Amino acid sequence: MATTVRQKRARPRLLEWQVQHNWWVYLILAALSIASVLPFLWVVLTAFKDRLTAFSVPPTWIFKPSIESFVTLITFRRMHKFLLNSLIISVSATVLSVGIGTFAAYTLARFRFAGRDDVAFWILTNRMLPPVAVIIPMFMIFQTVHLLDTHIGLIILYTGMQLPFVVWMLRGYFEDIPRALEEAAWVDGDSWFAAFRKITLPLVTPAITATAIFVMILSWNEYAFALFITGPNSKTLPPTVVTFMVERSVEWNQLGAACIFIALPILIFVLFVQRYFVRGLTMGMMRQLEKGRQAE
Amino acid sequence: MAEVLIKNLYKRFGSVVAVNHIDLDVQDREFVVLLGPSGCGKTTTLRMVAGLEVPDEGQVQIGGRDVTYLAPRDRNIGMVFERYALYPHLSVFENISYPLRVRRWPEAKVRQRVQEVAETLRISDLIGRKVNQLSGGQMQRVAIGRAIIREASVFLLDEPISHLDAKLRSHMRGELKRLQREIASTAVLVTHDQLEAMSIGDRIAVMNKGNIQQFDRPGRIFNLPANLFVANFVGEPSMNFLDCALVRENGSFRLEAPGLRAKVDEKWLKGSKVLSAGSDSRLVLGIRPEHVRLCSGRQSGHEYCGEGKVYVVEPLGSEVIYDVEIGKSIVRIKVFEEEAKRLAVNMGDSVLLEFPSESIYLFDKESEKTLAQAGFALAEEAKA
Repeated sequence: MATTVRQKRARPRLLEWQVQHNWWVYLILAALSIASVLPFLWVVLTAFKDRLTAFSVPPTWIFKPSIESFVTLITFRRMHKFLLNSLIISVSATVLSVGIGTFAAYTLARFRFAGRDDVAFWILTNRMLPPVAVIIPMFMIFQTVHLLDTHIGLIILYTGMQLPFVVWMLRGYFEDIPRALEEAAWVDGDSWFAAFRKITLPLVTPAITATAIFVMILSWNEYAFALFITGPNSKTLPPTVVTFMVERSVEWNQLGAACIFIALPILIFVLFVQRYFVRGLTMGMMRQLEKGRQAE
Repeated sequence: MAEVLIKNLYKRFGSVVAVNHIDLDVQDREFVVLLGPSGCGKTTTLRMVAGLEVPDEGQVQIGGRDVTYLAPRDRNIGMVFERYALYPHLSVFENISYPLRVRRWPEAKVRQRVQEVAETLRISDLIGRKVNQLSGGQMQRVAIGRAIIREASVFLLDEPISHLDAKLRSHMRGELKRLQREIASTAVLVTHDQLEAMSIGDRIAVMNKGNIQQFDRPGRIFNLPANLFVANFVGEPSMNFLDCALVRENGSFRLEAPGLRAKVDEKWLKGSKVLSAGSDSRLVLGIRPEHVRLCSGRQSGHEYCGEGKVYVVEPLGSEVIYDVEIGKSIVRIKVFEEEAKRLAVNMGDSVLLEFPSESIYLFDKESEKTLAQAGFALAEEAKA
């Protein structure tokens, strides 16, 4: 009976010079890895301890796991609501800032108008502003327009915060796409928007995806503004960590669980999209074309 | 009818005048070439015909319609861009069929038309490929396919073959000319390569610094250049230019330059603009390298103009180019291989040069206009 052998994809072999011969390099790498991972590991372990074990001195490594802290977080501290807030606000801010930023970046890349480079620089400087410097004025503004502790308020704020980043990232990618491509589409019969939609946009989609992922992460992790501008209604996850300091003691296990609450969703998100992230940042549809031509 | 009419076209970028009030007419089914060095305004002119730039002044008409301010999509044109501008994320088929798909042609008709075009351009086997898998020559043919698929009234080409290697370029020159005849479309091509212009164009518009220097058939551009710029630009190697003065002695006229004296025909001079230009106008003598006669020793029956030393010899296979130092200038002479063998002249040899009087051009040094066209060219012109 004939057997068909399934072709295994050839695993790329390392070249001689790529194989590491020095054992002590591995030792250093191991040490560094452990040093990096250990704090996170400790946090995760702590999250699964009950209250007493969490406070034990010396700290225990082996214990009976319990989900007491998680239960407390959800029932007593309404973490699930804050999780939802984080989700709504981060996603909305991402969609808005990328949506608006794409067109702004295109304009800066394509059109020549008086003061263009000044506008571009001004946009960039907005990102350089440390949030802490403007927290109090922002608070007062938000108070005046009744946007404190609202989802909309934070969404607007985050959109404004992330727009410079989006514009800065995407402008370069739009500039990389030759104008001639759009011009060819115009000659072929497309309107400006049709050419943008069918030719330009598909070519920058990887970059837009990567930027959106970046913005999503930044919005999710934003702490300073969220702490001041939000209240019980619209609070996002990062500010909740402060609340675990009760007088002079810290609820370690709850704090650990809260950290997991904050970090896990975004970690899972990144795990799923990292392929697009890397592809977007290192993208080169145009570079591929150039390479192909240079090969002649 | 798809003639292209350009009237008083003017375009400025900041303080630089790119196109300076030019007029041009391209007849129906004519292949006109805009020729000139970088920055002369030829590409800007083409882009204004295409609708990719808006003129500051002037008018563009296609087929009798004023299209000056119309978007490219409303002008019924096809265009081949300098670096092909193929859509990288689409296949060859999708690239070529793009103009038809935009206009919502039925799929069956689209497929048929793409087949036809692919066969004409001999790229039928490339239809399914992705654009980044093609060579330069193949990409260029796909770009041409995309431009001609709709049978537009005017076919515009912006340096379509500049980026191909020399061999492919010379092959494509002929292909482009054939194609234009086959599809019987009006075409305007922009190039800086004078060889390309001469071989392809029905008429050539030589441009410099935003102005049209001369707009004529290739033969006339070459043999009857309107000014020094045109005379210098067309022809390989380019025409020799020597500052000279007109001297009258014993009733005969002579051109004198350092190390050189050439006799000229009085009738020819009288029929030209040289004498009316005034005695203080300084002259430039022009003669093409292929018309200068080279001799290693004095022979009877020849009127020699001067003696010089061979500076360098460039054998090109079928021809040989000699650079001869005479007076303070270098005169380049092009000679066919057989004659070169007969001459047996080497670097450093002393040689005698003859400038046949019917091959001499005279230009005004200040205005650079042609004052006297070469006798042989005028004779040919009179016969035609």
